Amino acid sequence: MAADNVPDTAWKSTLIDDVGETVNLCFQCGTCTSSCPSGRMTAFRTRQILRMAQFGLPELILPSDDLWYCTTCYTCYERCPRGVEIVGIITSLRNMAVRAGFMSEAHKDLVKTLYETGHLIPTSDKIMALRKDLGLDEVPHTVLRDKEALKQVQYIMEQTRLLMIIKES
Amino acid sequence: MAKVRIGVYVCHCGHNIGGVVDSHGVAEYAKGLEGVVVARDNRYTCSDRGQDEIKVDIKEHKLNRVVVASCSPNLHERTFRRTVADAGLNPYLFQMVNIREQVSWVHADDHDAATRKAKDLVRMGVARVRLLEPLKDRRVDMEKSVMVVGGGISGIETSLQLAALGIKSYLVEKTPSIGGRMAQLDKTFPTTDCSICILAPKMVEVASESNIELLTYTEVENVEGYIGNFTVTLRKKARHVDLDKCIGCGSCSDVCPVEVPSEFDMNVGNRKAAYIPFPQAVPIKYTIDEANCLYFKTGKCQLCVEACPTDAIEHDTTDELVDIKVGSIVLATGFDPYKPMISDYLGYDEFPNVITAMEFERIINASGPTKGHVLRPSDGKVPKTIAFIQCVGSRNKKIGNEYCSNVCCMYTMKNAQLIKEHYPDAMVTVYYIDIRAHGKGFEEYYHRLRENYQIEYIRGRPAKVWERGEHNIVIRAEETLLNLITEREFDLVVLSVGLIPAKGTDQLAQMLNLSKSTDGFLQEAHPKLRPVETTTGGVFIAGCVQGPKDIPSCVAQARAAAAAAAGPILKGEYAIEPLVAQVDHDKCMGCGLCVEVCPYGAPRLVDQEVGQKAEILEVLCRGCGTCVAACPYHAITAEQFSDEQLEHELMAALQVEVK
Repeated sequence: MAADNVPDTAWKSTLIDDVGETVNLCFQCGTCTSSCPSGRMTAFRTRQILRMAQFGLPELILPSDDLWYCTTCYTCYERCPRGVEIVGIITSLRNMAVRAGFMSEAHKDLVKTLYETGHLIPTSDKIMALRKDLGLDEVPHTVLRDKEALKQVQYIMEQTRLLMIIKES
Repeated sequence: MAKVRIGVYVCHCGHNIGGVVDSHGVAEYAKGLEGVVVARDNRYTCSDRGQDEIKVDIKEHKLNRVVVASCSPNLHERTFRRTVADAGLNPYLFQMVNIREQVSWVHADDHDAATRKAKDLVRMGVARVRLLEPLKDRRVDMEKSVMVVGGGISGIETSLQLAALGIKSYLVEKTPSIGGRMAQLDKTFPTTDCSICILAPKMVEVASESNIELLTYTEVENVEGYIGNFTVTLRKKARHVDLDKCIGCGSCSDVCPVEVPSEFDMNVGNRKAAYIPFPQAVPIKYTIDEANCLYFKTGKCQLCVEACPTDAIEHDTTDELVDIKVGSIVLATGFDPYKPMISDYLGYDEFPNVITAMEFERIINASGPTKGHVLRPSDGKVPKTIAFIQCVGSRNKKIGNEYCSNVCCMYTMKNAQLIKEHYPDAMVTVYYIDIRAHGKGFEEYYHRLRENYQIEYIRGRPAKVWERGEHNIVIRAEETLLNLITEREFDLVVLSVGLIPAKGTDQLAQMLNLSKSTDGFLQEAHPKLRPVETTTGGVFIAGCVQGPKDIPSCVAQARAAAAAAAGPILKGEYAIEPLVAQVDHDKCMGCGLCVEVCPYGAPRLVDQEVGQKAEILEVLCRGCGTCVAACPYHAITAEQFSDEQLEHELMAALQVEVK
């Protein structure tokens, strides 16, 4: 990070190209932070992330763990009085973070699970027992039962370089 | 026709034009155009020196046409028409060419091309000015009275000022009393004057002023006509009380068995069906509210009739339509407080102890429903902790109100101070985004408030509000200056609601052909230089109908509107531009298309011996040319915009000879 915190205007232009100019509308009222379910439990301050983005400080945003605490519930977006596309901006920032080599461990694990099982949340013994009780097949009719389909999922993930991006970050 | 002798004057406007366009080169070019006798460039053509040069040339060179290439005609067309008139030329033998807004300001990146375009425009102006014909201003007589709509501080002040100038006004107010929103307020910032104490003397003056005809409980039904000659139809709503007989004793109200929420008290307190809205009402005459009176519902109750010592009650009257004639109209219909919605997420209408600032004004007012004691709605107890939430209904794109309401920062300071004065131990918290203390003495007031009272300011806009315990209110907001998410419990929450255009403003705007700005308030003719005029001649605006503002600004604007409305009335006549449309009756087939397309209602069909022909009411015509273009029989011509004139101008643009 530059010691003098000089805004990176070129970086900001790429952000605006990606998500539009509503980031400039934010007037730091804090409605987003105080409506954020994550912010109540963590140090995540939506308003601060937006201010750093508005100011043009990728060095402060992209390596930050906070960026990954957003649950994309859209409550902030719904309540924002300025019409800032908050969730779109967070998503774009996360994409940039991943490209810059920053990704939270939990998110990496999720992608790995997706690659291995074809599901973000794979089935478990508990769920299988529950399904059996309800008279359903223990293993659902998804990639879990179809090795070919799983191979296709993995092919897509390889082709889109998702796996490689994770390995690099 | 005498030989055309044209003078062309090309302005530098300092660097505004001269920094981009080669004004000297344009003038030199003009010298070679047909009919041009003299062409000059000057630093500021609009200056006395520049104008004198034109006047001297008119005399010395016997000019009979003048072209000035400078700024927009909106700015200086009048100036130069006057200049040429001073030199004895008909003012309409003048043509303005805009090489600033339409050239130098928009083509600053290419000086050569800008200069070429300036030459093109000057050539077109010269081609056109050759064919212009002398015209005479037309004048309309002014009806010597004004209608002022809205009896709040702005309307009251307008009428009083007109009266001081010796002009009669009709002050039309839809509620039973004048006073408006200001009468509802407790104290006013930044001086904490008692609102009604400073307003009531003015209300009394209105009642006693012979030049003001007060028409309360009256609405504008229709307006016809134009500047100088408006005919207004008013609906005098049935009051069911004879104003001449009523002595304001209140006997009818005492015995009236019906109680309904009082609009004046923001529905916090009640009134009777026979009522005056507040003790200082003007006129101090009672009203029987048809919608709630038992007599109108069941036909039985006659208690007020029996109680009235002067036989003033008249249940059988109905609304009355009356026509008045006025020369000008001033609209001062004010504002309504914003009513919080579900999408504000602030619990209004959901939790009893969330109220609006307007309701708070009535609660803390000595003549209000709680006699000035701040009591919370749920249990009537005095709240120990009170929160104010700012910018409710303002600065919010989601609800469509992007504007700042201008007064909420200040009235909240005043409200906070009043609470601390009434209850020194109360804790007051203000949730705000920015503090705007921009008026005279405002910042000092804010300073004193922070210095002398323990008011807590939290910089954050609450996102969520919920109830806890005995209807206490919890507010969650970020203290943005500390990055802290706070959750605080309060006994009472006051929403500092913004200002929105008063109900009914839209209808008036439609009746009078007025435009609204994007905030929904009425649009002034020019945001800086014509602040109380509208684009409709003879119609003016004053106070919050134009946008949210405080009392001093309303008073200033009211006085300005009175002066603007009085001008032509005192003069006795009003000059209108002669650039209007003319109908050639030989060609007109009476199809009526012009009547349909005109945005100003100027054309009408008049019966002839056989069939009908269109006629243009000149005072309403703005010379826009819509009817000219629409007429299928080419029967309409706009003065100074004849087909021939436009054709020559166009051919000059294309550098083609007119055949």
